[in-house]
Amino acid sequence: MASFVGVQFTFCFRIIVILFFLHFYRTSLSAHEIETQASHFFRSGHTNNWAVLVCTSRFWFNYRHVANTLSVYRSVKRLGIPDSHIVLMLADDMACNHRNPKPATVFSHKNMELNVYGDDVEVDYRGYEVTVENFLRVLTGRLPASTPRSKRLLSDDRSNILIYMTGHGGNGFLKFQDSEEITNVELADAFEQMWQKRRYNELLFIIDTCQGASMYERFYSPNIMALASSQVGEDSLSHQPDLAIGVHLMDRYTFYLLEFLEDIHPASQSNMNDLFKVCPKSQCVSTPGHRTDLFQRNPNSVLITDFFGSVRKVEITMSTMKLNPNNTERTEIDVNEEMVTTLQHYVDQLPVAEIIHQKPKQKDWHPPDGFILGLWTLIILIFFQTYGIKHLKHVF
Amino acid sequence: MPAIFHYISQHARGERLPPAEMAASLVLVLLIAVTVRAVLFRSSLAEIIAERVEVVSPLNGWKRVVEGLALLDLGVSPYSGDVFHETPLMIYLFHFVIDYSEIVFMIADAITAVALYLAVQDYNKIVYRKQKYTLEAGRYPLDVAELLRTPKEMMYIPIKVAVFYLLNPFTVLSCVAKSTCGLNNAVTALFILCTIKGSALLSAIFLALATYQSLYPFTLFAPALLYQLQRLYIPISVHSPRFWIFTSQYGSMYLGSLVVITCLSFFLLSSWDFVTSVYGFILSVPDLTPNIGLFWYFFAEMFEHFRPFFICVFQINVVFYTIPLSVKLKEHPIFLMFMQIAVISIFKSYPTVGDISLYMAFLPLWHHLYRFLRNIFLVSIVLIACSVLFPVLWHLWIYAGSANSNFYYAITLAFNVGQILLVSDYFYAYLRREHHLIHGLYLKKKDGTEETLILK
Repeated sequence: MASFVGVQFTFCFRIIVILFFLHFYRTSLSAHEIETQASHFFRSGHTNNWAVLVCTSRFWFNYRHVANTLSVYRSVKRLGIPDSHIVLMLADDMACNHRNPKPATVFSHKNMELNVYGDDVEVDYRGYEVTVENFLRVLTGRLPASTPRSKRLLSDDRSNILIYMTGHGGNGFLKFQDSEEITNVELADAFEQMWQKRRYNELLFIIDTCQGASMYERFYSPNIMALASSQVGEDSLSHQPDLAIGVHLMDRYTFYLLEFLEDIHPASQSNMNDLFKVCPKSQCVSTPGHRTDLFQRNPNSVLITDFFGSVRKVEITMSTMKLNPNNTERTEIDVNEEMVTTLQHYVDQLPVAEIIHQKPKQKDWHPPDGFILGLWTLIILIFFQTYGIKHLKHVF
Repeated sequence: MPAIFHYISQHARGERLPPAEMAASLVLVLLIAVTVRAVLFRSSLAEIIAERVEVVSPLNGWKRVVEGLALLDLGVSPYSGDVFHETPLMIYLFHFVIDYSEIVFMIADAITAVALYLAVQDYNKIVYRKQKYTLEAGRYPLDVAELLRTPKEMMYIPIKVAVFYLLNPFTVLSCVAKSTCGLNNAVTALFILCTIKGSALLSAIFLALATYQSLYPFTLFAPALLYQLQRLYIPISVHSPRFWIFTSQYGSMYLGSLVVITCLSFFLLSSWDFVTSVYGFILSVPDLTPNIGLFWYFFAEMFEHFRPFFICVFQINVVFYTIPLSVKLKEHPIFLMFMQIAVISIFKSYPTVGDISLYMAFLPLWHHLYRFLRNIFLVSIVLIACSVLFPVLWHLWIYAGSANSNFYYAITLAFNVGQILLVSDYFYAYLRREHHLIHGLYLKKKDGTEETLILK
């Protein structure tokens, strides 16, 4: 009997031990899951998103550029970036243009399927305010003190910025307002300024113009990824005209980009490699290009929503997590010893006391004695030269 | 003014005035002028006039003099910052008399008037003597009797010159605004006095001072030289050795005194800043404040790469007329001096009404040319109308905003055209009178009909 009980006991004991170990294993497994999930928080490194969307052409026949920009604006807003973080620059007003048969609308699909103008568009730079100077000032932050917040790009070193530009371009330049150009060198230097001033964490640059790839050729700052609708020597083509409105409504690249973005929702895990596949040559007629050599992460680990959306990283969990403290040791500063006790004071720049009390003007400057001597000697010499030396007798 | 009526009655009786009464009338005119200026100084118009751009230019504004001296008191060079463009001798002068500035400017006007008075008196004597000799030598044709000048008409010219200078509204405005143009005019008038008196050294020294002050009077070297040569009976031809000796003497005195004055100015502030600030400023015209001259509008709309070329063109335009006029008028150096001063006042880079009043003071000297002047009515109306329109269009442009700079420049152009017409009209009349004196007054062609004279 005792041996049977002993066997039962040991059996139960083993089962309990196994169950115990299994339980521990499972909790540690779920903890490990949560740890991996928590590590996703720190994957991309940005905490806020900004977008700068620029349309550089004016006149009615460039309707499609405004429609391009507004469709990207719409997607970006839908995916979560608020208006306060979007700088929208439209060089002309198409919605209220005299030639618009449907005022207050800008359509992106023919037969007026999709109105990208909507009810709550906030245009920050409009009409003639869209200049190269203003664009560069927005990027670098060098705006006059009176500029309102809605016109500023208030990004910091944890911001991911999307910059979308469309208009007419050429090999190495983009035309603004039919009167000036921005070159790829200027743009690269502006981005370098932004990097040096820590104004971005990562930057996605999309350009939809003819020969758009030339605009990202000169970038040299880290953490920039660039996409363009056409290579150097190719033209970007427009998609479709609407016979009622009378102009081409969208460019091909942005049209297919918009279709792609319509499938993205804030929680989607699509990455940049999918974005590179948007609009192949069969659909776009031009060859879209991209540049990732300056970007430090692998493009397939970069989510679309890292740039196009403003995703708040919230993960709800019922379990507690332990975060490892930082390994660096804090050096204890002995506060008492190193407190600086010397009194600071400003150097006197102006003799304020004298100015305020309006002392009478002391003429501190006197002509040098040599000058006075020389001048009066000459005058006396000329006097006696003219009137004869004999007058000296009368003087003495 | 009973004294003036007394003189006129004496004139009617054909008597000569004793010099004491002439001097008394000069003193009277001076007193009137000083009263007018003192009244204006004490009134509220003084500040308004001191800011008018027609009266005050960046070169000679009183505000700038005060600013420069204040900078000097603060220990900074007055030429730093583009505000002060006076010469160091001016700094020296005003350093001591800045509290009595009004009296200084009134004395400067008085000196100018007295100097012109004495100069014109001497000049009239010389002209009359020359005419007498030519008449006695029988070189005038028979019918020019009415063209000859008489002592009666020449008696009042000096006092008229003094009146024309002192009571000219332009001079009064310039004095009330305390523009240092008055001092420049005083130096030029002293130079003219010394030239006519015949003292080569003093004339060279005052010419050097005038050039040192505002650079353009160096063109007055030619008429002064011609006058001195004429006075010493040296023939004006390139083959005469006496001509070259005197020219080199006079030239070396002039250049020597200029060098001495410039070096002396160096010692005042121990720097050569004043050269670029004064002469560089006059020559390169960086300040395009509107004034009554021709430079500002043109250079306001000039492209940068044409600017040096046009500056050279405009500056050469000032000096360009000296040699042709000297060749034409080598027998008449004082008329040449009048024309040269007029050309400088019209074409200099920053003219003001004070410059105009200096050559207008000479006009009584040529009143015997009145019968030959062709456009005098038109010219005088143009000048008066433009002078009135200057403040009107300035107000419309700057304050009302309903005009623009073109309007003001149009009036400037019309004013300068009026001045040029005035000078060329006198030139024509002078030459015509000389032609009549040689060829007779009533000119007839071969068939007996009356001829007409054309100035080519």
